[in-house]
Amino acid sequence: MSTLEVKDLHVSIEGKNILKGVNLKLATGEIHAIMGPNGTGKSTLSEAIMGNPAYKVDQGEILLDGENILDLPVDERARAGLFLAMQYPAEIPGVTNAEFIRGAINARRAEDNPISVRNFLKKLDKTMSFLDMTEEMADRYLNEGFSGGEKKRNEILQLMMIEPKFAILDEIDSGLDIDALKVVSKGVNEMRGQDFGSLIITHYQRLLNYIVPDVVHVMMDGRIVAQGGPELAKQLEDEGYAGLRDELGLDIKLTDEDA
Amino acid sequence: MLDLKKYPDVAAYVQAVAEPKWFTEKRIEALDELKNLKMPSFQKIRYRNWPIRVKKDLNNVKSEIPLPEDIDENAVTMVQTGQQTLLTNVSEKLQKQGVIICDWKTALDEHPELVKKYFMQKAIKITENKLTAEHVAKLTSGILVYIPKNVILKDPLTMYFIQDALQKIDYVHHVLLVADINSEVSYLENILTVGTEKTTANIIVEVIALEGSHVKFASVDRLGKNTTVYLNRRGYLKRDAKIDWSLGMMSDGNIVGDYDSELVGAGSHAETKVVAISTGEQVQGIDTRVTNYGRNSIGHILQHGVILQRSNLVFNGIGHVEKGAIGADAQQESRVLMLSRYARGDANPILLIDDNNVTAGHAASVGRVDEQQLYYLMSRGLPKKMAERLVIRGFLGPVLAAIPSRSIQIELENMIERKLVDGQKDE
Repeated sequence: MSTLEVKDLHVSIEGKNILKGVNLKLATGEIHAIMGPNGTGKSTLSEAIMGNPAYKVDQGEILLDGENILDLPVDERARAGLFLAMQYPAEIPGVTNAEFIRGAINARRAEDNPISVRNFLKKLDKTMSFLDMTEEMADRYLNEGFSGGEKKRNEILQLMMIEPKFAILDEIDSGLDIDALKVVSKGVNEMRGQDFGSLIITHYQRLLNYIVPDVVHVMMDGRIVAQGGPELAKQLEDEGYAGLRDELGLDIKLTDEDA
Repeated sequence: MLDLKKYPDVAAYVQAVAEPKWFTEKRIEALDELKNLKMPSFQKIRYRNWPIRVKKDLNNVKSEIPLPEDIDENAVTMVQTGQQTLLTNVSEKLQKQGVIICDWKTALDEHPELVKKYFMQKAIKITENKLTAEHVAKLTSGILVYIPKNVILKDPLTMYFIQDALQKIDYVHHVLLVADINSEVSYLENILTVGTEKTTANIIVEVIALEGSHVKFASVDRLGKNTTVYLNRRGYLKRDAKIDWSLGMMSDGNIVGDYDSELVGAGSHAETKVVAISTGEQVQGIDTRVTNYGRNSIGHILQHGVILQRSNLVFNGIGHVEKGAIGADAQQESRVLMLSRYARGDANPILLIDDNNVTAGHAASVGRVDEQQLYYLMSRGLPKKMAERLVIRGFLGPVLAAIPSRSIQIELENMIERKLVDGQKDE
């Protein structure tokens, strides 16, 4: 079993404090959801865990299997077992999707022991067909000219090919129609198992109908303010974030709330 | 009688190699004119304090460089090391078709009519500047390629020119490629250095594309770190002729590249693609020009370059449309990507339009690597240097994709990868 633990994490971007002490622990075999209103620091948390250099950690620790990974650059964190499915994946012209994924897999293997082309293609074909992706997607340049839905599917394809220990899915449901949402969920559920843990960041409860979480965390104003089972997500759907805030007696202004 | 008293080194050299008198006369003409000529000038390319002048005496020198192991003897057309020709493969079929591929000495001895007609006569003049005159005065190696009328060569000609920097000798090399009416040829030259002595190279390539001919000219330049280079490639295009230039600048030293196409004939067409990578502390100044003289002539320039470490890369793109070139089209795009904060780069578009009824355009940019792209690639576990190489590949992709020969694309891709890996080592 592997663990990913976030302890008292404070993060700022361009001098502005976004995370103000986040605590979180997840183990392989578990799926956690983080819900929260806009502008509350959910994406910051995922970028900070992954190691985006634009985000500055001011305090706290991020531990993977008990080892602090804050000093590791993003590529080393990835090779150590972290994966972030991004909200806005970059487009890379000139590099085909298949070539990129093979490079990512080989980056985790010894230099003299790359995955054979045959085994790679077999796995790629199988996974793409599982995700209802057309074959030509493998030969297209990485995310270039992909629709929003294609990009999200492509993130899940990479997830399934790379097989990380922990995957953070940052609003993977945004901009998806219901069919695409089902495919993306199918991919994550396929990964579910003793060797895989996931942190699913979402704005809406809808995604959690398809990927049922073990634990739901609610974030507001840079902190986790509530924790519970899947029923907490349902409660939020009914009462809204403002309702939960008032119930908890928190003095927080929500970004999208009218003055 | 030639009066060679003034130039004893020339006298000794021409006697040693038994040079035909008419060619020695050209050397003397160049030497006599030298003091009246200027150095060539290129915007934003400052090279005056480089050791780019060919100062050493004319000398007949043997090279001890063996055939490099990675060269497949059966797949190449010619290999030259220094002033020598190591091997020449011209099939019987080509000979029967009248194709001439020979070294410079043979060209002077056996094909004087071709050399007299085209050598520094159409594309470039001997007295154009100090460096072109020095070139003629000190020329010691080269080749002549002649493709007769209506001959279409399916297989590319592949040349290796190896500069000998094991010795302190200048490298002065000439390529004269003449494609006669309606002929077609694909030509690839690899120019590289063996050795690390501080040397000067002065290389001029003339491509004469006669009516209706089509020349695909590709090069992979890998001259050494301690070789200072003047490299002038010039095309001269008659009616409906076409030249596709695909130039890979992977040299490691300071270099002035002057790549020009003279679109003399109506409907002539030049496509110039340049890919350059600068590393270390080198300076590469590249001045690419198309000049439209002929009606409906087309001159396009597409050049992308990457700058690493403390190196410098300048792209000038010049579209010059002369008066009377009605219907001409001159387009250019120059882009530079800088990978380090110490790198310096410039993309400098110049349009000179002397006729109204033409189309012309330019695009130029100098930028840095997109941090989001790097982060994304690295977030999948790719090490930073590999991620950078992928971003660079994407940046150079549009130029590589536009190169007409797949095998040359692959050759260039491999060479780019090699130069980038070498360049990143010192970071």
